[in-house]
Amino acid sequence: MSRAAAFVLAAALCVSAPCGALAHHSFAMYDMNRVVTLAGAVKAVQWTNPHVVIWVETAPAGGPSQLWTVEATSPGNLGRIGWTRRALNPGDKVEVEIAPLRDGGHGGSLKKVKLVATGQVLSGNWVQPGKP
Amino acid sequence: MTRKLAALIVGLALAASAANAAPSPKDWAAVARLPDWSGVWAPDVVDQNAQVHGDPPPWKPEVARQVAALEAQEKAGRPKGLFVDCLPHGMPALMLVTHNPIEFVFAPGRVILLGESDGNRLRRIRTDGRPHAADPDPSFFGDAIGRWEGGALVVDTVGVLPQTYIAVSEAVGIPNDGDLHVVERIRLEGADTLVDELTITAPHVLTGPWTTRRLYHRQRDPAAEIVEGVCLQGRYLESRDADGHAAFSLLPLGEDGAPAPPK
Repeated sequence: MSRAAAFVLAAALCVSAPCGALAHHSFAMYDMNRVVTLAGAVKAVQWTNPHVVIWVETAPAGGPSQLWTVEATSPGNLGRIGWTRRALNPGDKVEVEIAPLRDGGHGGSLKKVKLVATGQVLSGNWVQPGKP
Repeated sequence: MTRKLAALIVGLALAASAANAAPSPKDWAAVARLPDWSGVWAPDVVDQNAQVHGDPPPWKPEVARQVAALEAQEKAGRPKGLFVDCLPHGMPALMLVTHNPIEFVFAPGRVILLGESDGNRLRRIRTDGRPHAADPDPSFFGDAIGRWEGGALVVDTVGVLPQTYIAVSEAVGIPNDGDLHVVERIRLEGADTLVDELTITAPHVLTGPWTTRRLYHRQRDPAAEIVEGVCLQGRYLESRDADGHAAFSLLPLGEDGAPAPPK
């Protein structure tokens, strides 16, 4: 399946309705029990609701570059765990851990991302903020 | 009829049709005595799942089969997107499955619940003693009246659109199909946990009332404050229009039909 496969899946669920690829949806298309690590560079960041999207370009050895679509929670939920919209920028070298799409497409749900230049690690795990 | 009685009847009729009174200093003072629900309340998502698995809705048998099919779809990685249309979650789904925090604003005669993400997560709960509207226009969050019982806010909601989901996740839920009635008892438990005990009656899809609870945890960190969130914004890229002005354009699709990142 294709590069922005997460969106294809989300869109396919909408059948004929003009439903947004970035709409508010379940993350069940991702296999949360698997981890895939991507090494590459940030191509673009979409810091919008309902889900932040990070496009990452990788350069597998001996093959053409691949564009991966990495989906995270909302800007608000990421802000609560230390992110800002300036946390990742195009061109940043990154190592990204994702829960991959179940169908093998080039997409996943963000687990964490490490900025190679600084070693800073940003988590994608937002589930229990504020719990005493 | 005496003149006095006639005057009384006219007076009562006038009172019944009177405009909403301006709040008095006494009304505002009463607000100050309400429980402290300030701050941002993050839903306990782990507990959401625990509640659903421990005490699922009493679906009617034919509906239970539909729910099982949705669950199988979700398990197989092909979730039905209940909210992908970006319409409001509505009641009771907002309280049941939201992944985003909520906040409360108290004012004389009403409690306002504001949710993050999807700018239209907004409940207006009238606490001025009025009954339900006689024939409310069906709406996503319904006609909600509330009263304070000790430290608990008891909210009674009717007039909800039949299309809103009784949802157990973002991928599994059934439209309430009409005649929905939700009674909530919302109260503090300890200093920083808010408990919403919901009794959901949906006679077209449930065999009887479903009582469940949801927890929210308080956050006071300024970084946790609720931010604007517009569901539809995710479908657009920031770009320029023909005259060079800042504008939104639909996310372009790549050759494979998938949305592509900005060039």
